[in-house]
Amino acid sequence: MDIFVMDKWTLLIATLLAAAAAIQGASYVRRGVRSPWTMAWLLLSFIAQMVLLGMRGEMRGACPLGDTGEVLIFAAWALTMCYLLEGSVYRLSLLGVFTSPLVAFLLALALIPGMLDSNPVHIDHADAWGEAHAALSVLAYGALGLAAVAGVMFLLLNQRLKDGELNNVLFKNLPPVRELSRVVMRLLVLGFTILTLGLVCGLVMEKSGDVTRHLIVALCQWGAYATLLTLEWRRGMPPRKLALAAVILFILSLSIFPLL
Amino acid sequence: MELVCLGLNHETAPVEVREQFAVAAEQQGAKARELTELNSIAESVVLSTCNRTEIYIAAEQAEQGAKILHDYLACDHNAVEMEHIYQKVGTDARAHLFRLVSGLNSMVIGETEIFGQVKQAYRQALESGATKGILNKLFQKSFTVGKRIRTNTRIQMGQTSVGSVAVDLAEKIFGKLKGSHVMVIGAGEVSRQVAQSMLSRGASEVTVTNRTHERAVDLAEALGGASVPFDSWEKTLVSADIVVSSTGATDPVLKAAQIEQVRRKRKFRPLFLIDIAVPRDIEPAAGEIEEVYLYDIDKLQQLANEAKNSRAEQLRICEQMIQEEL
Repeated sequence: MDIFVMDKWTLLIATLLAAAAAIQGASYVRRGVRSPWTMAWLLLSFIAQMVLLGMRGEMRGACPLGDTGEVLIFAAWALTMCYLLEGSVYRLSLLGVFTSPLVAFLLALALIPGMLDSNPVHIDHADAWGEAHAALSVLAYGALGLAAVAGVMFLLLNQRLKDGELNNVLFKNLPPVRELSRVVMRLLVLGFTILTLGLVCGLVMEKSGDVTRHLIVALCQWGAYATLLTLEWRRGMPPRKLALAAVILFILSLSIFPLL
Repeated sequence: MELVCLGLNHETAPVEVREQFAVAAEQQGAKARELTELNSIAESVVLSTCNRTEIYIAAEQAEQGAKILHDYLACDHNAVEMEHIYQKVGTDARAHLFRLVSGLNSMVIGETEIFGQVKQAYRQALESGATKGILNKLFQKSFTVGKRIRTNTRIQMGQTSVGSVAVDLAEKIFGKLKGSHVMVIGAGEVSRQVAQSMLSRGASEVTVTNRTHERAVDLAEALGGASVPFDSWEKTLVSADIVVSSTGATDPVLKAAQIEQVRRKRKFRPLFLIDIAVPRDIEPAAGEIEEVYLYDIDKLQQLANEAKNSRAEQLRICEQMIQEEL
């Protein structure tokens, strides 16, 4: 099969695998038990995403971040990777169930006609700084996206604890609020560090065309995360506010995509 | 070949009787083998835990097998002790084992430890050559039923006493309680029980205060903690993770403003407030502070009742599943 067709099929498979993780995970949660398959589905989706990025990299002859579709796939890949690392190290229950819909959503967006360039331009000269900037920035999205997912989990559990709704399956399966709060913070620090490195690479890369709006949005995004972390570090912050900020900032950060 | 089960458990016998029938964990296989040497007993499994001792046998005739086993036990135990023994035959014995493996006969309904204990007892009997076709099939089936019930029901979900609900909530807020600091205001019995439960789950520090300081000192000593005078306990609020309050005061002992004052010093760490006093000790407005989780006695009781109702429904489903498997 032609590589220009195969990449679409691989994207479809990766999307379906992530969707399977989301649907099966949700059905297990509804039945009150933990899904033993979520991590396996997401691992398979991750492999498909890697194969896909490999194909696109081959087509471009550079890091596959040349169109919005590729950025979405790269972001989904980074998010899945962060989940697989965080989830397997800290065994955070339900993190996969909450992450998989976001991964499936990002991949499904990339499936929309026009998002993924069918005949990507092969790049003969790649600027290493530019590639590092793009790759690190999207990796940061993975960590910050997962921080937002953990933030949503925190907010759900926090509300149930405040309302005293103990006897439901979500309450039973979600990790403790203190642990979720630590995960949010850990991922925010990780994401911000990678984002900073990406921004530094962006400042020294070769500039082409009008990058002013992109730069302003990127700096605003970096500044917002820097302010949040400084506030938390200097004077502390109620865990609910931190979780809410992680979710809101990530949603706002997505606004940079149309500017690419 | 017919199935018989003879035994006693925490519901039929007090601990002083149960300990007379106990078999050391590593001796269960040898004991099972010894029983198969008795006339008409073809197979046997001996299970002994802190809450029960049960013997499952396969015999040509249930009545005769049960009598021989009963007489065997009576050799070493007096008539009063033997009165605590129950006997189940055929389908009743099968259903009893399925319930046991599923945790339905346990002191804490739905607990999972019994599953491993039965597995260990069976493995020892198997290795000692005390089991054959009948008991092998029965025990394998019971493990399948146990797994099915745990996977498809919520039998182990929810606590049914106020103290257990409080501890469950604390673990949902803090995770492991290791390193947690429990502050007890008022030296009542319920406070002591809740604090004791928290300590048994890993809380490392406890501070007690009471209007009558001597009682605070006594309780602190009993819990292995420290006591502070009632007029200066507020300083402890900075380091406390869990506050259990049960004084006889008519006005709030802990107000929202007091917590507001120490939030920054606490670095906005979660604070779990358990108010088991009537009238209430803790101002309801305290629960509106973001990182504060406030539960009063009514809320805790309501949660315990909800769990009881839910558990009753789950028990009905479990029994239905067991009947399907028989």
